[in-house]
Amino acid sequence: MNRASQGKVSVAGIGLRQYKRGGAPLPEQGILIRAIIDACEDAGFNPADIDGFVSYGDDKNEPVRLMPDLGTKELRWNSQVWGGGGGGIAAAFGQAAAAIISGQANAVIVFRALAQGNSGRMSAAVMRHHLNDHIVGAGLIAPAQICALRAQRMFEYYQVPHSVTEELVKASYYHGSKNPEASSFGKELDIEAYRTGRWVTEPFRLFDCSRENDGAGALLLVSTERARDLKKPPIRLLGVANGASQGWGDLIENDTDYASAGFKPVADRLWEQTGLQPKDIDVVQLYENFSAQGIASLIDHGFCNYENVAEFVKFENLIADGGKLPVNTSGGNFAQGFIHGVGTPIEAVRVLRGESANPVTNAKTCLLAGGPGAPTVSSAIFGVDDR
Amino acid sequence: MKGVGADEPYWLALSAGQLKLPECSACGKAHWPAVWRCGECGSWEQQWTSFELSGTIFSWARTWHEFGASKEFGLPYVSVVVEIDNADGRRLLGTIAGNAESIRIGDRVHGEVISVNIEDENIPALRWYLDGNSSTSKASNSGATL
Repeated sequence: MNRASQGKVSVAGIGLRQYKRGGAPLPEQGILIRAIIDACEDAGFNPADIDGFVSYGDDKNEPVRLMPDLGTKELRWNSQVWGGGGGGIAAAFGQAAAAIISGQANAVIVFRALAQGNSGRMSAAVMRHHLNDHIVGAGLIAPAQICALRAQRMFEYYQVPHSVTEELVKASYYHGSKNPEASSFGKELDIEAYRTGRWVTEPFRLFDCSRENDGAGALLLVSTERARDLKKPPIRLLGVANGASQGWGDLIENDTDYASAGFKPVADRLWEQTGLQPKDIDVVQLYENFSAQGIASLIDHGFCNYENVAEFVKFENLIADGGKLPVNTSGGNFAQGFIHGVGTPIEAVRVLRGESANPVTNAKTCLLAGGPGAPTVSSAIFGVDDR
Repeated sequence: MKGVGADEPYWLALSAGQLKLPECSACGKAHWPAVWRCGECGSWEQQWTSFELSGTIFSWARTWHEFGASKEFGLPYVSVVVEIDNADGRRLLGTIAGNAESIRIGDRVHGEVISVNIEDENIPALRWYLDGNSSTSKASNSGATL
């Protein structure tokens, strides 16, 4: 996104329907329609005027099938970001913005919908995208295992202390405990349960892993100019970047910066585009599939490094209100719920509007760090409309 | 199931109990995953060279949860990324024989080809064995750079 495009597109409305895994009251497409209508009501926008859709992570709900329920007059843009995991989540906003800025569409929904009854276990679906004989022959068939290999390299070779994952998980659950919409509402993390949880794949125990939910999330994007006439204050897209650099990708574990989350080139572009630096970010919504990947993502984005990570990633720094860098103010994928991460951009909007269950006073910028460790990753920065 | 890119010669060699990896015939670039065209020099010629099944542990993960991998692995089992000796840092995946409680990054390993049954198909795979005394120092591992 170049400077001329910066802030030209905004999120005008959000909708999120979350249920227990396997507990959606309607099939996937039904809950998606509800989330889209929620987003339109939030914005005060006629659903029939939506003319574009973008998703990510191999979503199965082809936009053209939504037209009869939404009353869509004309579909002008429909696309999906490549990649099976959450790596494309922020990139989806880039596609929506590209459509709007180039005049190919006017009102674009970014969405993700997932119900176990329709799409099966999300982790299995993500992995099917990437399976080949090299990895199944090594007993690797779940994202947790691949991420565990990379995490082990980070802990053992780069000597990142295990305590940092505990701090991050604790902060997520602290926020979740205060968010009435979170799966962990009312329950802070029991540290003993975290430390002695059953092993999933070493170095990950149970609470190092995000828990899957059924649900759907939708965000309505329009030009910032148009958003100013709608119900809620615009939340502007200030920058977005995605991709992979040489030496990173679908390389059967031959990635050069192996213990990283793959964001360094993407983050560099994001800082360059926006003229912002890590110190200018007020709050972060961090897609954490697994605890160690959340840490790697913070490192890749330049908030800390292998040397000072233990000083930076501390519970008191990560919580709202008052922490140096509040992270996952809704509880994030760990504690709010995990609908393939779509809750993270929604919380980015809420926290900048001042609607978060864990408000951050005067927050003007929010980084959305997308799914870490995927062959392609993406990040975006949202900001309030201070012109 | 399938391999990745142009790796059929890898599977043919592995089925015969050998490890072969490709290099560009024109510029010598060591490729992995395998490619049809060298992205460095544009050549379409690859030559496949034999390597010993030996290397160092680059990373490892011990799986306790039943994810539905081949039953032959049992539970728990340790998946490894092995940096192959004299192969320009190229890494291969496999499992470690036994529970390998003492496994550390940098450990020396040697391997053999096994057959693993996946979805009613037998595929060749690598099984690695920890060599006796091994170094765990950072310096012994020439892996990823910061």
